[in-house]
Amino acid sequence: MLKIEHLTKVYDNGVVALKDVSFEVPDGQFLVIIGLSGSGKSTLLRCINRLIEPTEGHIYWDGNDITEATDEELRQIRRRIGMIFQHFNLVKRSSVLTNVLSGRLGYTSPLWSFVNHFSREDHQKALEKLARVGIADKASIRADQLSGGQQQRVGIARALMQEPELMLADEPVASLDPATSHSVMKYLERLNHEDGITILCSLHFLSLARAYGDRIIALKDGRIEFDGDPDEIDDQRFRDIYGEDAVRVEIS
Amino acid sequence: MDHSKPPSSRTALRTLLIVLAVVVGVVVYAYGWTTTDISLDEVQDPTRTGNVQRALRELFNPDLFTRDREAKSFFMAFFIGCPEEEQQRGHVDLEGGAYVIVTPVCADPDDVITVEGYNFPENAIAGIRLNRDTGQAQPFQIIDASGKNTQESIFDVDNTGYFKVQVKVPRARGLSGETHQVEFQTVSPSGLPRFSETARTVGDKMIETIFLALMATTLAVPISVVLSFLSARNLMREIGVPLGTVLVGFMLLPVGAVLGWILLGRLGSLGVDWGEKPLQGILASAVALAALIAALRFINGIAPLAESVWGRRVRGLILNILMLTAGVFVLGALGGVFIWLGKQLDSGLAEYLGNFVGTLGKLVDLTIRGIAALGGAALLGSAGANWSADLLRHVREPLSNILGAIFGLISGALLMAATAYVGGQAVLLSLLNALVAALLGGEVAVLAYQRLFQTQNGKRQARHEDTRGDDASRTLLFFIGAVVAFLVTAQVLDLLRAIVDGRPPSEREWDILGLGVRIYLGEAAIIGGVLGAVAGGLAGTNMSFPLGMTVYNASRTILNALRSIEPLIMGIVFVIWVGVGPFAGVLALTLHSIASLGKLYSEQVESIESGPIEAVQATGANRLQTIVYGVVPQIIPPYIAFTMYRWDINVRMSTIIGFVGGGGIGFLLQQQINLLRYQQAGVAVLAIAVVVSVLDYASAAIRERYV
Repeated sequence: MLKIEHLTKVYDNGVVALKDVSFEVPDGQFLVIIGLSGSGKSTLLRCINRLIEPTEGHIYWDGNDITEATDEELRQIRRRIGMIFQHFNLVKRSSVLTNVLSGRLGYTSPLWSFVNHFSREDHQKALEKLARVGIADKASIRADQLSGGQQQRVGIARALMQEPELMLADEPVASLDPATSHSVMKYLERLNHEDGITILCSLHFLSLARAYGDRIIALKDGRIEFDGDPDEIDDQRFRDIYGEDAVRVEIS
Repeated sequence: MDHSKPPSSRTALRTLLIVLAVVVGVVVYAYGWTTTDISLDEVQDPTRTGNVQRALRELFNPDLFTRDREAKSFFMAFFIGCPEEEQQRGHVDLEGGAYVIVTPVCADPDDVITVEGYNFPENAIAGIRLNRDTGQAQPFQIIDASGKNTQESIFDVDNTGYFKVQVKVPRARGLSGETHQVEFQTVSPSGLPRFSETARTVGDKMIETIFLALMATTLAVPISVVLSFLSARNLMREIGVPLGTVLVGFMLLPVGAVLGWILLGRLGSLGVDWGEKPLQGILASAVALAALIAALRFINGIAPLAESVWGRRVRGLILNILMLTAGVFVLGALGGVFIWLGKQLDSGLAEYLGNFVGTLGKLVDLTIRGIAALGGAALLGSAGANWSADLLRHVREPLSNILGAIFGLISGALLMAATAYVGGQAVLLSLLNALVAALLGGEVAVLAYQRLFQTQNGKRQARHEDTRGDDASRTLLFFIGAVVAFLVTAQVLDLLRAIVDGRPPSEREWDILGLGVRIYLGEAAIIGGVLGAVAGGLAGTNMSFPLGMTVYNASRTILNALRSIEPLIMGIVFVIWVGVGPFAGVLALTLHSIASLGKLYSEQVESIESGPIEAVQATGANRLQTIVYGVVPQIIPPYIAFTMYRWDINVRMSTIIGFVGGGGIGFLLQQQINLLRYQQAGVAVLAIAVVVSVLDYASAAIRERYV
C-alpha cells in the first residue's frame, strides 16, 4: 500500500509544483496519472522515490515513511521501486547488458561495482530480463544503437533487475510512435498482471490511460483534479483537466 | 505614432555620448601606445636593421645538415713580371685532369688576370694564393665585372667543375722577375649529407621535451580527475548534510589523522622495511591479504550483526578498519619490494625500469605515514558522520541548538587554529584567517536574523525551502557580519604586523596545563570557537549544511588560483627546489596541468546528461556507484580528448619552460640565443615548429574522433 499525505513541492525558484496532494494506491493497481505538461506529474513520481525532495507531506509505503528515511534507508527503499523514464535515461555509451546490470547496483557492494563486477547470477538474471522484453540478442551492443522502443524495453529490463514491488513510469511512451507505445504499455500491463507489480504511470494520452489504467488521477496545476475510474472521464471532466480549448486526440 | 520617432534631444544626447565615448577611447588608446613604447625610431635604426637582418638570415639558415668535406690543392708555376714577348693566353695542365686557362699567362703585381678552370672538383669553394718561399701565402683578391676589388678571395666552382674568375695579382716586395708557385685550393663536399651535431643535440632535447610534457600530463591526470568531480556543480549541488553530522565528522578528522599517523603509519613503515627483504615482504602481504579475506568472511557470517542497523554499522566500521590496515601494510610492503627491485635492476635497459620502480618505492616510503593519516581521518570522520546522522536525526530544539553550539565551538576552534597555523607560514596566507572568520561571521549574522525575525516551521521547511525574496537583505547582513568578523580578527591577531610590516606572528606562548600553546593559535581558536558556537547554536544540528557546494567552492578556488600562476613562475620556484633540469619542468607543468585539466574536465562533467544519473540513482545506487555507472561512461571520450589536448599544450609549454632552467629544448634554445648562435637556434625553432604542429594536428584528429 502506497499512501501519500499532503504532499507539497515548492522548487527553489518559487514554482509550486504540487499542492497538498493526498491519495492511496493499493498493491497491484495500475494507476495512470494524466495532466498537462507542467501539471506536476513528473514531480509527483520523483517525490515517491525522492529523486526530488518533497517540501512538505509524507509518503508511506509498507509502513515506512519514505520522506523521513536516512540515505541508507532510502537506498534500501529505492531498490524495491523500479523507474522508467520518458527519455529512457540509458547510459548511451555503455552496452545494453551493462545498462541492465546497473539495475542491480542497490544490491551490489560498492567495492565490487567500482571494479565493474557483477555476480554470475546477476548476469544470468540480466539475460533473462532482456529475453522477457524480447531483446536478448542485443545484450552486447551499445545502448545508443537501439531504436526508441528497444531502448525503453532496456529501461524496463533495468527496472526489473531490481525485483521491484512498485514501478514508477514517467511518461514512458511520450517519445515513441503509437505502435511502439502500445507494445511498451503491453509490457507494463504484463508486469502488472503477471508479477503483481503496482504501477504508477504518467501519460499524455487519455486513450492510452483508458486502455491500460485501473484508475486515473488527473493533476492540474499541482492539485488533484480528478481521481477515479477511467470511464468516469466525460467531455466536461476532460475540459476541466485539459482546459477549455482542448481537443481530444486519439491514439490507437 | 510618435514613439517610433524618438525626441530629437534624445538623439542629440546619444550622438554626444557616442562622440564622447570615441574621444575617450582614442585617448585611452593613445595612452596605451605611449606606455608600450611604440616608436618608429628604433625600427629604422640602421645598425639594428642590419643586426636583425643578420639574425633572421641565420635563423632561416638553420645548421641542420652537414656532410664531409674534402680539401684538394692544385699547383701551377706562374711568372710575375712579364717579358715583352709574352703570350696572351696560357693553358696550364694541373694534376688529375684539371687545367686552367690564364689570360694573360703572366702579369705584374696588381695586374688583373682572368683565370678559367676546368675539371676542378664539382661544387667546391675555391681560392687562389701565392706561396712564397718564406712560407707565407698571399691570396689573389677577386675583382668584379666593373673592375672593383671585392676584398674577397673565395669563389665557387660550378657543378661541372668549371670556374671563371678575375683576380688581382698580389703585390709584395721582391716578387717580380721570378716564377712562383700558385696554389688552387678547393674544398668540396663529399659523401652523403647527414644531420649536423646541432641537429642531433636538438633531437635529443626534443625527445626530452616530449617526454617532459608526457610525464607532466600523466602525473596530472589522476589528481585532475578527482578534483574535476569535486568541482562539478551538478554533482556537488545535491549534497547537503545536516550540520551536526558535518561537525561531528569534522571534529573526528584530526583524531583519525593522529591515530592513523601513529598506529597505521608505523605499520606501513614496517611494511616498507619488510618489503626491502622481498621474500619476507611478499609472504607477509600474502598472509595479511589472506587474513583480511578470512576476517571479512567471518565477520560477514556473524548473523546478529547483519540483522540490525547498528549491527551493520559496527560491521561496516570493523570491515573498513581491517581493509585500511591491510591496505596500508600491503602498500608499504609493495613500496619496499619496489625499492629492492630498484636496487637489483641496475644494468642496461632494465636500469630505466629499476630507476622508475625504485623511485616509486621511495615515494611510498616517504608518504606512507601521510597516507595512513589521511586514511585514518577519512575512516573515522565518515564513520562519525554516519553514526551521528541517525542519533542526531531525532534531536529536537532546544537540545539540537545546544549540541550545535558545542560542536560549533570545537569545530570553529579547530578550523581557525588550523588556518592560523597555515597563515603563520607566510604573510599573504595570514589573510586566510580573517577570511575564514569573515565567512563564519557572515553566517552568524544571517542566522541570527533568521532566528529573530522568522519563524521556522518544522525541520523540513528549514531544510528544503530557502527563504527567498529577501535575498538582498540576506546578502547585506552577510556582508556586515563578514566585515565585522574580519576587522575583529585582524585586530586581535594583529594582522597589520604581518601584512604591513611583514613580520611573522609572535612566538609567545600560553602555558595551559603544562603545554605551551602559541598565543597566536590560541587567539585564533578562541575567535573560531566563539563564532562557531554562536553559528552552531543558532542553526542547530538539523539545519542542512551545503557540504557539496562548500567543497565545490573550495576546489574551484584552488583550481583558479593555481591556473592563474604561469608555469614559468612555478618553474622558477621548482628550479630552486630540485635544481636545473627537466624534473623542475615536469613539476611546474604538472601543477599547472592539474589546475587546467581539472577545470576542463569539470566542465565536461557539468555538461553531461542528467537522465542516466537519475536512473542509476533510482535503482538504489550510492554516490560512488552513481558516478561509476552514470557519470564515468559519459565523460571518458571528452577526458581522453582533453588529455591529448593538454599534452599538446604541455609540449608547447615545455619548449619554453627551459628558459627558466626547466630542462627540455628551451634550455638549449636559450643558451644558443645568448651566445648569438642563431643558426643553431634556428634548428631548435624549426624542431619546435615541426613537433608542435604535428602534435597539434594529431591531437585535433583524435579529439574530432571522440568529441
